[in-house]
Amino acid sequence: MLSTLLSLTLSLASAQNLPKQKLFQHTLDNGLRVVLAPDASAPVFGIAVTYDVGSRNERPGRTGFAHLFEHMMFQGSENVGKGEHFIQVLNNGGGMNGTTNEDRTNYFETLPKNQLDLALFLEADRMRSLNVNQANLDNQRNAVQEERRLGIDNQPYGKSYLEIDNLSYDNFAYKHSVIGSMRDLDDAKLEDVREFFKIYYAPNNAILTLAGDIDPADALERVKKFFGAIPRQPKPDAPFLGEEERIGERRSVVYDPLARLPKLMISWQIPPGNTADNDAIQMLAQTLDGGKSARFYQTLVKDKELATDEDLSPDMRIGPSLLYAMATPRAGVKPEDLEAAIYAILAEVAEKGITAGELAKARRQFRKKTIDQRQTVLSTAMQIGELSIRFGDPELINARFSKLMEVTAEQIQAAAKKYLQANRRTVVLTLPKETKS
Amino acid sequence: MIASIALAALLAVPSTAQGQAAPGAKAVQRLNRAPVSKDVLKVKLPRPQIKVLPNGLTVMVVEQHKLPTVAYSLWIKSGSLDDPKDVPGMAKFAAELLAEGTKARSSQQIASAVDELGATLEGSAAFGSGVSGVNASGLVEDADKLLELMADLVRNATFPADEVEKYKKRQLAELEQMRSNPQFLGRERFYASLYGDAAPARVSATAASIGAATSETLAKFRDERYVPSNAFLGVAGDVTLEKILPMVEKRFGDWKGKAPKAWTPVEFAPSKARVLLVDRPGSVQTEIVAGNLSMKRTNPDFIKLTVANRVLGGGPSARLFLQLREEKGYTYGAYSGFSADLYPGPFSARLAVRNEVTEPALTDLLAEFAKIRKEPIPEPELDDARRALVANYALSLERPSALLNLWMSARYYGLPEDYWDRYAEEVARTTPGQAQEAAKKYVDPDHLQIVLVGDAKIIGALAEKFGPVEVYDVDGKRKAP
Repeated sequence: MLSTLLSLTLSLASAQNLPKQKLFQHTLDNGLRVVLAPDASAPVFGIAVTYDVGSRNERPGRTGFAHLFEHMMFQGSENVGKGEHFIQVLNNGGGMNGTTNEDRTNYFETLPKNQLDLALFLEADRMRSLNVNQANLDNQRNAVQEERRLGIDNQPYGKSYLEIDNLSYDNFAYKHSVIGSMRDLDDAKLEDVREFFKIYYAPNNAILTLAGDIDPADALERVKKFFGAIPRQPKPDAPFLGEEERIGERRSVVYDPLARLPKLMISWQIPPGNTADNDAIQMLAQTLDGGKSARFYQTLVKDKELATDEDLSPDMRIGPSLLYAMATPRAGVKPEDLEAAIYAILAEVAEKGITAGELAKARRQFRKKTIDQRQTVLSTAMQIGELSIRFGDPELINARFSKLMEVTAEQIQAAAKKYLQANRRTVVLTLPKETKS
Repeated sequence: MIASIALAALLAVPSTAQGQAAPGAKAVQRLNRAPVSKDVLKVKLPRPQIKVLPNGLTVMVVEQHKLPTVAYSLWIKSGSLDDPKDVPGMAKFAAELLAEGTKARSSQQIASAVDELGATLEGSAAFGSGVSGVNASGLVEDADKLLELMADLVRNATFPADEVEKYKKRQLAELEQMRSNPQFLGRERFYASLYGDAAPARVSATAASIGAATSETLAKFRDERYVPSNAFLGVAGDVTLEKILPMVEKRFGDWKGKAPKAWTPVEFAPSKARVLLVDRPGSVQTEIVAGNLSMKRTNPDFIKLTVANRVLGGGPSARLFLQLREEKGYTYGAYSGFSADLYPGPFSARLAVRNEVTEPALTDLLAEFAKIRKEPIPEPELDDARRALVANYALSLERPSALLNLWMSARYYGLPEDYWDRYAEEVARTTPGQAQEAAKKYVDPDHLQIVLVGDAKIIGALAEKFGPVEVYDVDGKRKAP
């Protein structure tokens, strides 16, 4: 019923605006949050079911489990056979997948609009009645271990990507990797899968977002029909994510037999996502690394010719987050010279701030990027789910844009001064193995 | 971004399974209880509006008014296929260096102008292609400014000597970096095995070709190739032809030049079946690429092979994924595909498997190749494949640039004007016999090139079971037997 829907009024951004996505929100009696985002520009819809669980919820000895579990969600439920989820979505012209990160796990589909019931049925059946067995677990354990080899163990710098997080955090929640260790994956048991499902895969621990060519009232009735009878479960405790105050720089060297060139990875501990200071760091990174005219590329790659590539990216987690800087030193360049040049750029911002021109550029790039992220309704549905699980509010899909556009040059300078300090820093240097001696 | 590694779970099912598997078995199982709409949403792809300027520049516009953005895509019908034989990468160097200086703007001024619009603008030329592209994307309010910048790059790039030297150093480092990637090594060896030393064999520049490029040779390549009658300009987004045409005429109307000689396709003699082992010490997986020559883009078999490939390995619901991942757990993903161009492109299957299952995985892969040739595709499985391809059409309406790309490629290859209007119907009409015929013709065991990238100490002996073996090092040099 439309009367039960709450239409949100959202503040528009400043002069440079963003097309506003209208949202309807509702919570079912079993606690499932539902957000509907109508957009009839193409005869398709995107659906995302985002669960409030990620690798941060794992315990020692069970790393990689949230992601392994995500694979199990495609292995069948009471009314859907092993793998049938795939066959039904793909063979009816859709696309689908599931992903796991530190904070959340999501499952999503996009389909022509006449297949709405199909998507709702498939998502509801696995939320209600996941069916697991040993053969499927063994098979998916193999697939996940191949995923790890493909992305980490058989790639240059793969292990360094794990090492930078390992060294940056003390709290187990974010210290360990999403993909998990081979040994822990070997140890995962069927009972673990069943327990994990019961604790985390309840309607009151998830948000369902639906964007696209839908009628909100009709869509909500359908959601109620498919999901309404799934029982709620006790809300799981949120893991403690806090970190001790950092007292000094941390460094390590990784000798990588698969690498042919060294690589420098640096992180700084920054505040959680969707806070004023994290937002300032987001705009700092956009300013310093947004495009080829920005300081990182101009200084490190073009002018001084210290690096072949560079990247500066902040993340926005529920808990303490990281700003990463990565660069590959040119042949003949000492990694320490490249490292010093990176610090010099950041020190200059801390000392003198950024220019009005740089900020204007960053804002415009951010606006274009945000608009591009609205191109498909699936992207919209996924973003709403992600923001809701991480920061509790679907309307952030509209509101975050204004917040970031309002970040000032002073705030950026203050954040650089406060957070980009040696005591918050972790440095991982990868060297090709031959150079060890 | 390392902190948000999105770990994709791509699983698959065999379209053949019809609920016969017992619960607990490893095979996929189809219960068919989910409510499926039997209708395939009829979708007509919007056709572009087309205008050819007096100087020969073809302008194609696809409108989409959901978002206030515009994307430009300029295709120059000369690309890596036209590289001088001793300078592989010339088209790529020229395209990528457009933004490093024009008569009016320095490299840094160009970068600033693009970034101030919040836009993207860059040239590229993919190896194996006869096209160089200049792509730009920005806010629609900047449509004219962005087009002016793009035209400045295309028409007035000067390839300044100091920027060329800097670019060459960056290229050399990139080349070094690529050689540590097993997927790159597999691609390099596979294309060389199909095309010998002809242009389509190249997948990267070489240290020598990077060294050979100069301001003069780059400018010459651009002057001869970047001419209006050799180009299409595609425009997609929140615009109309009426609105955009005066801007295009202003920026490109007085662009001149004589069309260059087009690349002449050469015939490739397929090599006999063999195994090419790239020795990458320390590998914990074997990267497998196996395939052979397929067809030119204009070949009428294209759609038939598209359907057959959808069944064999064209996605997570196809046989290879089912067998090699879901049934056996050998790999994270196994797919097949083919490309078709001005010359016969490759058909190939690709997967990465842990060292110890290299032999059974390869055996299973070859068994699937044999099966799709030998056995007619069961009607329900074929029906799934056809429906998947047709129903997916609706989704493309969300991506105007991708749509525009379809129409531009139809025109480039000289396909009929209504090609994409009839495509769905052609897919739906493909019979089991036709799909099997296509598989027989284009999955070719007699000429199959099997590339294995891995640690030769571990996989060297088993490689010999699959054919005569040639061994290469990671620098692409043949090793003595």
